Amino acid sequence: MIEWLKSVISDPGILSAIEVTFTMAVCSTAISSVLGIMLGLLLEKFQFPGKRIIVRMNRTLMGVPPVVVGLVVYLLIMRRGPLGPLSLLFTIKGMVIAQTLIITPIICGMIYSYARKAAPGIRVFAVTMGASRAQSVLLTIREMRREIYFCMVTGFGRSISEVGAVMLVGGNIKGRTRTMTTTISLLKSQGIFTEGVALGILLLVMAFILQWVCDMLQKEEEQDENY
Amino acid sequence: MRITDLEKTIGKFCLKVDDLYIEPGKIHGIVGPNGCGKTVFLKTAAGILKPDKGSIDYEGLTSREITMMFQRPYLMDTSVYQNLIYPLTIRKIKPDEAEVDRMLEKVGLLGQKKQYAKSLSSGERQKLSFLRALIFHPKLIMVDETLSNLDPESEELFEEMILEVQKKEPVTWLIVNHQLDHINQICYQIHHMEKGRFLKS
Repeated sequence: MIEWLKSVISDPGILSAIEVTFTMAVCSTAISSVLGIMLGLLLEKFQFPGKRIIVRMNRTLMGVPPVVVGLVVYLLIMRRGPLGPLSLLFTIKGMVIAQTLIITPIICGMIYSYARKAAPGIRVFAVTMGASRAQSVLLTIREMRREIYFCMVTGFGRSISEVGAVMLVGGNIKGRTRTMTTTISLLKSQGIFTEGVALGILLLVMAFILQWVCDMLQKEEEQDENY
Repeated sequence: MRITDLEKTIGKFCLKVDDLYIEPGKIHGIVGPNGCGKTVFLKTAAGILKPDKGSIDYEGLTSREITMMFQRPYLMDTSVYQNLIYPLTIRKIKPDEAEVDRMLEKVGLLGQKKQYAKSLSSGERQKLSFLRALIFHPKLIMVDETLSNLDPESEELFEEMILEVQKKEPVTWLIVNHQLDHINQICYQIHHMEKGRFLKS
């Protein structure tokens, strides 16, 4: 079995798919994390008219089908689209844009929910300690670090497992924009199941490792005396 | 500290303080029935809640010299030691390790110095929060029933430590208590509250 997996992975086409998947996932998770964490914390901190509608929109976007986002991004960056001249269609950059639009609302929404529970208490504590505004923000981020890691891991998981948007925007071009998931989809349509299954196993292993990282982060969590 | 014409409304509750003078460097107790506004008053006086009206004259104290302790103290997601020195960390003061150990020893937390703070029992949490408030030498300390719900021994220890602080460098204490708390005995003045107002003492 291991030999078989090895032979599959050593195929240059598959290797490139793994590389593309990781490049895309790391970039889109990084950008989405920065945006999502910032937006989530800002949304919690400030009260403004229309906030409830924004929160509701955020929740809606958290569940939007990726393929819809893919279609919208495709229309924007296709040659005759408004962003056509940037020639982002069928590139990893284009895929990262689509994934960022999918993952940012998820991270933002999760951070907002966590922050609503934790941040007010942290801010009051910071005031009683005489912390400055910047120190208070820093403390909030530090106190929420486990939740932040968790959101990032979730975002990464979304990114590597996504097919629809990546297929539409990336075009599934061998060696350039073909990812692990789009490879599986293609292999299946060609009736080549063994390599598809091998890639599936690889993705599962990656999901397991992510799950394991999450678990380690959660383990140290507070043992509240009320439980 | 002088508070004049202070008003703070939260929902149906209204806190109203016409004129209250808190003599500096003394221990003041605040007593009153549940829901009479003691906590709202403390939070407003500590600058956590913004008053709707009126003013508080801190007589030259800055917000960095004022602290407040809660009944359920907030503990940071780190060790007992890091929690204790946090006020020093944000002031970029290097902690005096011998002094830190002496303080922890005094309340019996020295053994838990490196332990994860959130694993402490509620009594230990209050002790840690008490030390954390003392470590940066504030000039005005507000205590929200932290000293209630303690066992008699700990209560005595806290009283002893408060008096020790007062001997070295007098601090203004505003302590919310229950009517029958032992600690009222060390208070210089007891202020009675009812329905959001202070009664003449």
